Amino acid sequence: MRGLVQFIADLRNARARELEEKRINKELANIRQKFKDGNLSGYHKKKYVCKLLYIYILGWNVDFGHLEAVNLISANKYSEKQIGYLAMTLFLHEKHELLHLVVNSIRKDLLDHNELFNCLALHAIANVGGREMGEALSGEVHRLLISPTSKSFVKKKAALTLLRLYRKHRDIVQPQWAERIIHLMDDDDLGVALSITSLVMTLAQDDLEQYKGAYAKAAARLKRILIDGEYTTDYLYYKVPCPWLQVKLLRLLQYFPPSEDTHVRELIRESLQKILNLALESSKNVQQNNAQNAVLFEAINLIIHLDTEQDLMKQISSRLGRFIQSRETNVRYLGLEAMTHLAARSENLIPIKQHQDIILSSLKDRDISVRRKGLDLLYSMCDSTNAQVVVGELLQFLQSADFAIREEMVLKIAILTEKYATDVQWYVDISLRLIAMAGDHVSDEVWQRVIQIVTNNEELQVYAAQTALQHIRADICHETLVKIGAYILGEFGHLIADQQRCSPIEQFLALQRKLSGCSSSTRAMILSCFIKFVNLFPEIKPQLVHVFEIYSHTLDSELQQRACEYLKLATLPTDDLLRTMCDEMPPFPERESALLSRLHQKHAGTSDRRTWVVGGKSANTEAELNMAKPGGLKRTFSSAVPLNGNKANGVNGSHANGASDLAGLDMSSPTSEQAPKKAPNLASAAHLSPGWEKGFNRLLLKAEGVLYEDAQVQIGVRSEYRGQMACIIAYFRNKNPGTITSFTTTLDLDESEKGHLTWDVKGLPESTLGQGSQTQQVIMFEAKKVFDKSPTMRVSYLAGALQALTLKLPVTIHKFMDPAELSAEDFFKRWKQIGGGSREAQGIFGLSGGKNSARELTEKFVASTVEGFRWRLLDLVDPNPKNVVGASVLHTSEGGKFGCLMRLEPNYGTQMIRLTIRATDESVPQVLLKLMQERLSVGVSTMPERYDPPTRQDISDAFGSVMVN
Amino acid sequence: MSLADRLSPHQRLAKWFTTLSPKDKAKIVKDVSQLVLARRTRMCNFLEYKDTKIVYRRYASLFFIAGCSSEDNELITLEIIHRYVEQMDKYYGNVCELDIIFSFTKAYYILDELLLAGELQESSKKNVLRCIGQQDSLEDMEVSAMHSSF
Repeated sequence: MRGLVQFIADLRNARARELEEKRINKELANIRQKFKDGNLSGYHKKKYVCKLLYIYILGWNVDFGHLEAVNLISANKYSEKQIGYLAMTLFLHEKHELLHLVVNSIRKDLLDHNELFNCLALHAIANVGGREMGEALSGEVHRLLISPTSKSFVKKKAALTLLRLYRKHRDIVQPQWAERIIHLMDDDDLGVALSITSLVMTLAQDDLEQYKGAYAKAAARLKRILIDGEYTTDYLYYKVPCPWLQVKLLRLLQYFPPSEDTHVRELIRESLQKILNLALESSKNVQQNNAQNAVLFEAINLIIHLDTEQDLMKQISSRLGRFIQSRETNVRYLGLEAMTHLAARSENLIPIKQHQDIILSSLKDRDISVRRKGLDLLYSMCDSTNAQVVVGELLQFLQSADFAIREEMVLKIAILTEKYATDVQWYVDISLRLIAMAGDHVSDEVWQRVIQIVTNNEELQVYAAQTALQHIRADICHETLVKIGAYILGEFGHLIADQQRCSPIEQFLALQRKLSGCSSSTRAMILSCFIKFVNLFPEIKPQLVHVFEIYSHTLDSELQQRACEYLKLATLPTDDLLRTMCDEMPPFPERESALLSRLHQKHAGTSDRRTWVVGGKSANTEAELNMAKPGGLKRTFSSAVPLNGNKANGVNGSHANGASDLAGLDMSSPTSEQAPKKAPNLASAAHLSPGWEKGFNRLLLKAEGVLYEDAQVQIGVRSEYRGQMACIIAYFRNKNPGTITSFTTTLDLDESEKGHLTWDVKGLPESTLGQGSQTQQVIMFEAKKVFDKSPTMRVSYLAGALQALTLKLPVTIHKFMDPAELSAEDFFKRWKQIGGGSREAQGIFGLSGGKNSARELTEKFVASTVEGFRWRLLDLVDPNPKNVVGASVLHTSEGGKFGCLMRLEPNYGTQMIRLTIRATDESVPQVLLKLMQERLSVGVSTMPERYDPPTRQDISDAFGSVMVN
Repeated sequence: MSLADRLSPHQRLAKWFTTLSPKDKAKIVKDVSQLVLARRTRMCNFLEYKDTKIVYRRYASLFFIAGCSSEDNELITLEIIHRYVEQMDKYYGNVCELDIIFSFTKAYYILDELLLAGELQESSKKNVLRCIGQQDSLEDMEVSAMHSSF
């Protein structure tokens, strides 16, 4: 486009802005005319839109031609369409009315067979899509994301487009998409994995439960990249394998509470250690160093978040100590930031306090970014042991600090002073010094809080009054101090009136001198103080009245009214009203610390959910629990000087109230937003797949066998029980003609059983299974108490589309029983000992299908079923030889061992059974009875066992490995 | 959430991933350019601006500036900038300011291939180049088709 090049060159040659403007106006007029005339070819439209774009990028206002630009989108030519889309993303925003016109064109491009057109449409949505566009097009975007025929470069764009739409409106991502989206994290293409991980990160933050499957995937992927080296060289960024993906995976893991799964933890530990090791060698190349450190700092954040990896923790705290002294400013900055995270999380601040001097010196760094981080860290690492030093240094630094951070510093100093004050004098001195030094940067919350604290803590009042008076007496005194002084002397001036240089008249004179130089609101406070003086110090009433008289003529109407009212009040014949009005102020009601709310405001509004906040450990526990406790205005000061002979105030820890002061510091994501739609937990027993029962029932009585089989997979189970422990090995075989990928298993158990039965996954199955290949997973179960419901397993994988099964695992309470041999004498003795009542369960039942079904109860069936339920059959115990009697011991780790006895009285004539179970604990019999009744009532088929000759398929399977095709 | 823009005295290219009014955008551009231009060498590449973090890097006379959430990983954002510069370098062959000025549309297309919704979508130089190459060849086909029809 020569015209465009010429135009740009012209503008570059324009020496002065006026010339540039002239040239632009000429061009705009020209284009306006061309558009008006109409009948332009696609090429010319494109050219003129490009010129408009260039003008727009230079920062000029372009208020026409938007429609022409948008029209280009429906062009057939790619180059015209592309300019149309670019113009749309630059000129329009998500609420622009022209966007309605393009939704159909975008849809058409999403459906086009040419992927490049799909990409243009996805870019457009990702750049300007809002809620409406999302509601219209999210279905298509989702289709491009999951379609097995989508190319990688389309998939990753679709993922991020969906992310944009989700940010605009949560409901756009439907809950049932979750499982499929998580599976895509296993995609071979690292670009796709990166984009999907970004999407999952955002989705998971809002619904951890729904996306919990992402945790193991992230851990496994990280390990595959770092330990197994699974990446192509394209994705090496200066020798660091895909640092962006690593960072995202490490971050994703921080959104979840640490896993309880030892295998997953091990995967993460291995990867983290590897990252730490790799970072030991620093490179001369800036890019490599940056990428390596980006991963390292994210790993450090994860280690701090996990909080259990003592060994890794030790390594990082020594490294952080070196980082904050680094010569590289970036590293110093990040080191301080990471250390702040550590301070926010750790119980023990000693490793950080070792570096206190260096951290303090970072306040003098020449880079403001570093100074700010230093401030954050000091704020977080402050506790009652170092508060005096830290606050002292902060005060010192405040004088020379940048204006940009002064207000925040004042707030932080005020909070620390209040939180860790153990000494009356210290609190008052520091607070007033702070205000004296940084008056202009002191927000109202700060001085008001000081007044509230003094009012509510009697032991402070005398000292506060003395000190405030001293400050006011000085020639130069910040107005905010005058405010505090006016209030405090008005309330507590009488407490010091008998002290030297504090007589009523001296207090009055000090305040009166300030009257003229203050703003109206401060004068009003002084006047209010004076009316209180009228009540407290009748001896100086004439002087006070005189002031009111003067101010009753002032021009300021607010002051005038006040003065007139006070004058009237002071000169009433009796002082009843005065006394009532000027009665001592009641303590302030307990409330959230305004200081913290203020600090909170300053930090609100970030998009991602914080995994931690700046502040000590208490700040973070509070933030997590999202509590809103009232702030403690009532403080305890251990070294309170009993100036007033007041009763001592509590002897508990001096900063016991500290934690609750942080109530306002809730920086976690806003909870007021509508809760996302709850998706069903597909791994739960409520979603069992058809056909689960056959294998489950078979395996109830056996230790190994096939649990499930269909055309695509075969799932077998082998199990071994020892006491309360069970080792289950699940085998998965791919029967598909093709490879299946992203093979995933998820275990689930009813909420009511958590704590009764626990498990530990010893490994993850292979994610990719070639045709006919097999993988396995070992799971250890532990029966802590008697449980009733069995765990379930969701097996899901991608074979083109997503395939998923939910199966019940044959882990039931009777599996934890050991058959026990008992003599007849013992059996009856124990049977009687246990007795009936709640420790007995009895059922009388027949066949569940009714008597006419083709099934029956036989002696053999009953005996084998009972044995399958792990009873030792005791012969010659029951006088009736038909009856079956058994004994067993049930093992649980927390409940202990239970003795179980069973008596089964069959009546084969009527096909009925009476089953009685007694156990040493009442939790046991019902559960066992239910399980056994279910199985026994099925009966056995009356048909003679049929012999099925092998089918063709069976034969070819059996000989598959040797036959030549 | 990030914006990549470039300012010397002139802004050369800006991309916004959040919806803001023109007035807000102008204010941010002005504030941030002042802050960044005032910084000296050997200072760190990060800067706090309101609730966001500014990550910037200087290449000759051009500043590349990205804004991100205060939660984001700073160094990895810094390397996104570098990857963008490298990507353009690879495409234009030793990129300079003039390339960006005269073919500003390409600079946008490359950025779109790299970043979408404010997140990095592809870190492989080869893959990005392949996408841009496909676009170019499609354009060339159209151009030659046009010529032959005359």
